[in-house]
Amino acid sequence: MGVLNAVLGAVFDAFFAPLASLGPWPGMIAVSVITGILMLLIFKKTSNQEGIRRAKNQIKARLLEIRLFKNDTGRTFKALGAILAANVRYMGHALRPMLVMIIPVLLILAQLNLRFGSASLPPGGQAVVKLTLADGVGAMKTPIVLRAEQGLTVETPPVRIEEEGEVDWRIRGDIPGRRLLTFDIGGTTVEKIVSVGQTQPAKVPTLRTRSFLDLVLYPGEKPLPKGSPAAAVEVIHPSQRLPLFGGGVHWLVAFFVLSLAAGFALKGVFKVEI
Amino acid sequence: MNHSEKKMHGEDPRDKALCRRAFLKAGAGAAALAALGPGGGLVRNVFGKAAGKGKVLILGIDGMDPHLTGVWMKQGLLPSFAKLASRGSFKRLMTSTPPQSPVAWSNFITGMNPGGHGIFDFMHRDPKTYLPVFSASATEEAQKTIRLGDTILPIKGGTVKNLRQGRAFWQILEDHGVPATIFKIPSNYPPVPSKQRTFAGLNTPDLVGTYGTFNYYTNEPAEINEDIGGGRIHTAYVIGNRVDAKLPGPVNTFKADRPESEIDFRVYLDPAAAVAKIAFPDREIVLKEREWSPWIQVRFPLIPTQSVSGITRLYLKEVRPNFKLYIAPINIDPADAALPLSTPESYASELAKKFGPFYTKGLPADTAALDNGLLDEEEFLAQDNQVLEESRAILDYELNRFDAGVLFYYISNLDQRQHMFWRLLDPKHPAHDQALAGAFGNVIEKTYREADEILAQSLAKIDKDTSVIVMSDHGFNPYYRSFNLNTWLLAEGYHKFKNPFKKVELDIGFPSTDWSKTKAYGLGFNGLFINQSGREAEGAVAPGAETDALVREIAAKLEAFRDPDTGEQVILRAGVSGDIYSGDHVAEAPEITLEFNRGYRISFQSPLGRIPRDIVENNTAKWSGDHMGAAEVTQGVVLSDRPIKAESPALYDLTATILQAFGIERPEKMVGKPVF
Repeated sequence: MGVLNAVLGAVFDAFFAPLASLGPWPGMIAVSVITGILMLLIFKKTSNQEGIRRAKNQIKARLLEIRLFKNDTGRTFKALGAILAANVRYMGHALRPMLVMIIPVLLILAQLNLRFGSASLPPGGQAVVKLTLADGVGAMKTPIVLRAEQGLTVETPPVRIEEEGEVDWRIRGDIPGRRLLTFDIGGTTVEKIVSVGQTQPAKVPTLRTRSFLDLVLYPGEKPLPKGSPAAAVEVIHPSQRLPLFGGGVHWLVAFFVLSLAAGFALKGVFKVEI
Repeated sequence: MNHSEKKMHGEDPRDKALCRRAFLKAGAGAAALAALGPGGGLVRNVFGKAAGKGKVLILGIDGMDPHLTGVWMKQGLLPSFAKLASRGSFKRLMTSTPPQSPVAWSNFITGMNPGGHGIFDFMHRDPKTYLPVFSASATEEAQKTIRLGDTILPIKGGTVKNLRQGRAFWQILEDHGVPATIFKIPSNYPPVPSKQRTFAGLNTPDLVGTYGTFNYYTNEPAEINEDIGGGRIHTAYVIGNRVDAKLPGPVNTFKADRPESEIDFRVYLDPAAAVAKIAFPDREIVLKEREWSPWIQVRFPLIPTQSVSGITRLYLKEVRPNFKLYIAPINIDPADAALPLSTPESYASELAKKFGPFYTKGLPADTAALDNGLLDEEEFLAQDNQVLEESRAILDYELNRFDAGVLFYYISNLDQRQHMFWRLLDPKHPAHDQALAGAFGNVIEKTYREADEILAQSLAKIDKDTSVIVMSDHGFNPYYRSFNLNTWLLAEGYHKFKNPFKKVELDIGFPSTDWSKTKAYGLGFNGLFINQSGREAEGAVAPGAETDALVREIAAKLEAFRDPDTGEQVILRAGVSGDIYSGDHVAEAPEITLEFNRGYRISFQSPLGRIPRDIVENNTAKWSGDHMGAAEVTQGVVLSDRPIKAESPALYDLTATILQAFGIERPEKMVGKPVF
């Protein structure tokens, strides 16, 4: 998973690099449109296009039947039943492409979340750093030290929570850039990147972990090595929204609206029955 | 003395707290959420540009005293004020009667006296219940609702209404196309309808609907007293190294039984170091001992689809040996305002976007926490300094875009610090503490110098077409001695208890009073009311000649009263409403307004109807400076870059002066006259 994340990360970095100076929207629009097209093509290749066409036609026909025989209650109910059945068939035809699409879409979403989900710490901004220890590594008995490279300051001593297997600190971002925190956990070193003063679509990795699901959802850093005394390291960055007309919109909303709009707009071009 | 002995002697710390904040806490309760429901509305454009190039900048510095200003100007400590005075004028400014901030600022806002704008005190009274009510605003809950089980859904949203009468000067400017930005002027909550940029000031409640209720969590038995004014103290149980607690929020008006909303939070203490993590549902923070948190947003769930958010700051006072956590009153979040804060509505969120969260509660300094010893002087000042920093940043922003019309900017710190630190400036004060005076005796002087820096900051930003006025609503007096009006009325036979052997009533709301034999009662900070038949629920004095004669009789006796310990006159003048007020609302005024001598004030107990034993007693509270005196001993200041011709300018004269600057005629009901 770590290798896949690294490859995907490089692809997305290359994609966003020429657009980064234009702000967050060009990159978001481009990714959304390409994803919309990709979803169209997957849908076309993996769905039963003829079956979908037939189900939709049946629905249209039954709707027409309801309109023509609106005074015949029995016939109306029968047509409604047929519409329901056609709908089920339609969804059945769409199920396979949905299953195929779910994995690439999830990977794309994870990459977008890395760039648009959390805000970089503003210079002077504070954040909580949360170290979750691996089973058997005690928060009290293990000597744990957090060091920050120049550009970051560790502002508090650790708060050791034995029953949660957790240690917390507060840090402050001082100088913009990708800064490094280094944890010394009983002689083992663990690192965590902190983003300071960077603008969208810069990568803001929040969680470094070794759980498989978290590796899928948080691809910003290499997974923690097996046997690490740390189970996860998290820097709680503020969430952020895409700027829109003086307000903001969640990146996920923007992505789905744009990708669906692209898909519907281009379905004729790619001759896809949706 | 133990607690109950202190209570019997009228020195219960809770008594001290029963000032305006206690009243608000007791009376406001559920107000905050009543205005929820359909709200919002479309964002309106900021009002347009004025014709002409003249501009007027007004710095409203609450409580700036002419005597102290004059002394420190002469000593060269206030160079910017001195510079302004040398270019124009420095004069005493006649305040309102009584010189309470909501009254005084209403005089300035409307150009009328209290008889015209109808604000006579921080609190008015309901003659049908003899209970105090807010003078400044009233909340009407949703009138149309649907009930689904125990859930009540508002169909037509409730409203909050500003009770001040008369038009605000910026509304008149708006009629004539003159733009204005009015930042945090008191007595403008909710902001009156306007297209001008206005932001509500004094009287703006916190999220729970009071003028400020902090929460304090401790396991120190001496501090656990759940009934203090302006705050709630919660017992904290430290189990292991963890504290589980609840933060109370506004009353949930979506529920039929109107429970208090709350959110759970957990504090993790490090087993050895003086540091803790505080975990709210949406936010975690790490604080060292004696550290303030930044603003955090707290969201109170009401029903599955509704919640209300506010902002607060935390102060981890102590980790060990005792746990002490202070949570500031929950301010209305300017980014997501649950109650009206500004006109246009977008102005609040515009400032929040620019500056992040900032204090929106009317008087942000937590004087109650200092008064009750839960924050010390240094901690109080740390909090109040942040208020000032935020204020200066927003002033700078407004000055940078001030290109036409009027900019009014309000500063609260001087008033609040004179209330709390006068005892350390004045060795004669009963609460003077020599050791503390060494560390904090210069706080008031320092705050005047900070005000001077704010003027310097402003003068550096304005152009030659801008006129500058610095003004205050009132000055300040020491508060040495407390007068118990209701005790005096009882002693003089104007107030009667049901039990003739009873001498003291320490509960609020006159529970022991025999109204059928009572002729007068005191409610509010300066007001005395006649128990008039046909108006009061159990009136005993006929209106007309009988009332008039009684009023004159009581007024004469009040003015003749002397402090039994010092021989000094306590009340310089007992102002009869018909003599001192004019306008459409004179009939709503107290029959007599007490205008105190310098050094005297109404007690903390009397405004809500408590009747302690002594008529006059020493004030040993930290709340040690005040401004409830007669207008002539509590005058404010006005400084201008133009010579003021008026012999004795008054607050309402400045209103007329602003209109004159733009060639606007005074409205008929405005009593003020231009000073230039």
